[in-house]
Amino acid sequence: MKRRPPDGSALLRWYPASWRHRYGDELVALMADTLNGEDPSPKLRISIAWAGLRERVREAGLLGTTKPAAERIFAGAIAVLCAWMAFLLAGGRFAKYSEHFEQAVPRTSRVISVDAYNTVAAAAVLGGVLVLIGAVVALPSFVRFLRSGGWPSVRRHFRRALGISAVTGLALAGLAPEAHSLTPAQRNGGSFIYSVAFGAIVVLVSTSLVLWTVVAVAATRRLELTRRVLTTEIAMAALVSGTMVVMTGATATWWATVASSAPWFLQSTRSGSTASVFEPQLAATMSLMLVATVAALVGMRRAARSWREFRAG
Amino acid sequence: MAVAPTKYVLRSYVRRSRITDVNRAQQPGLRRPNDPPVLILTSLATGPKHGHALSKDISEFAGVALGPGALYGAITRLEERGLIEPVGTEGRRRPYRITASGTAALAEVVGEMRRIADVGALRLGLPLSGRFA
Repeated sequence: MKRRPPDGSALLRWYPASWRHRYGDELVALMADTLNGEDPSPKLRISIAWAGLRERVREAGLLGTTKPAAERIFAGAIAVLCAWMAFLLAGGRFAKYSEHFEQAVPRTSRVISVDAYNTVAAAAVLGGVLVLIGAVVALPSFVRFLRSGGWPSVRRHFRRALGISAVTGLALAGLAPEAHSLTPAQRNGGSFIYSVAFGAIVVLVSTSLVLWTVVAVAATRRLELTRRVLTTEIAMAALVSGTMVVMTGATATWWATVASSAPWFLQSTRSGSTASVFEPQLAATMSLMLVATVAALVGMRRAARSWREFRAG
Repeated sequence: MAVAPTKYVLRSYVRRSRITDVNRAQQPGLRRPNDPPVLILTSLATGPKHGHALSKDISEFAGVALGPGALYGAITRLEERGLIEPVGTEGRRRPYRITASGTAALAEVVGEMRRIADVGALRLGLPLSGRFA
C-alpha cells in the first residue's frame, strides 16, 4: 500500500477540538508546505505539542485574557481542586508511611513530631470540609445544569468514575479481612501477596480520585455561577490552598524531627540503629505535595488577579 | 467570546513599554521587535498572506524562523483581539490581513520601538530617525 506523504496532521491531537476545528486545516497546510514530504522532526513535534498544550491551558481559562474574568476565576478554583486531589494521593501515602511512628520516636523528642502530624491531620480534615462546602455551594447551579439537559455531557465521565469506584470498593472489601489477619510487619512489606494487592488498591483508589476529579471539572466548567457563589468558591479555594501550604510545611517538619530523633523509623530498621534520613518514598510523597501546593497557589493567583477585573466589572 | 478591547491592550502595551511592567499577564505579546505578533503584523502590513507566506516573509525581513506552532499561536491571539482577520480561503490555506485596529496597534508599537531606538542612537551619537531627528 502506498504511504500517504506525511503532513503532520497527526500532531493536531495536541490541540483542543475547538481550536482544531477552526485552525487545524491551515496548520496542517502550513506543516505540509514546510515538510516537503519529509517526516516531522523531533523539534517540530515538540514545538507543536507545546503549542497545543498551551492552547488547551488557554481554553481551560488558565492562561491569557481572552476568556471572561468569571471563567478565569473559576478556572483558577478548578486548578486548586485538581491540586487538592493530587494532594490527597500524597496525603494518603503519608498517612500510611507514618503509621505508628509515635512508638519509634523517643518520648523526650516526641512533642514536635506529634504536633506536626496532628497539624497535617487537622488541616486535611479542614481542607476536606472546605472542598465539600465548595461543592455544596455549587450544587444548586449543578442541579439547574442537569435540569437544562446537561446530563449527557457528563454521563460518560460519571459512569466511568462510578464503575472504577465500584471495583475499588469491592477490592477494598475483599482485602480488609485479609489485612486484619496479618501482623504489622506482614502488612508493611512482609507479605508479598498483600503488598501486590495493596499496590493494586492504591492504583484503583488513585484512578477513582482522578476520574471523580474529571467528573467535577467536566460538570463545573459548564455551570453558570452567580456572583455570590463565585465569591464563595474563590474564598474556599484560597482557604484550601492555605491548608495545603500548612500540610506541606507540617509534613516537612515531621520528616525533619523524625529524621533527627528516630531515623531508623524512616528506613524501617531496628530501633536505635544508624540509618539514612533520606527515604525515596517519603521524598516522592513530599515532592507530590510540593507540586500540588505550587499548582494550587498558581491557580489561586490566577483567580485573584482575575477577581480584580471581575469586581471592576 | 469576550476579549480585552484593543484600546485597553494598546494602553497596556504603552505602559509596559515604559518598563512599568503593569499587569504583565494581560499583554498580547506586542513588546519586543521579535515577538511573533509584531512580526506577523509587520508582515501583513504589505498585504494579506497565508501561514507559509508569512513564515517565509518573516524569515526574510527579520531572520526569525517561526515554527508552525508559534506562528499559529500568535495568529490565534491576534485574530481573537481583532488585529487581523481571515480573507477567504485558498484550498486548505487561509490568508489573513491586518485590520484597522491591527494597523493602529502596529503603528503604536513601531513608534515606541523607534522612540527607544532614537534614545539609544542619541546616546551613541548615531544618526536619528524618529522624534529627536
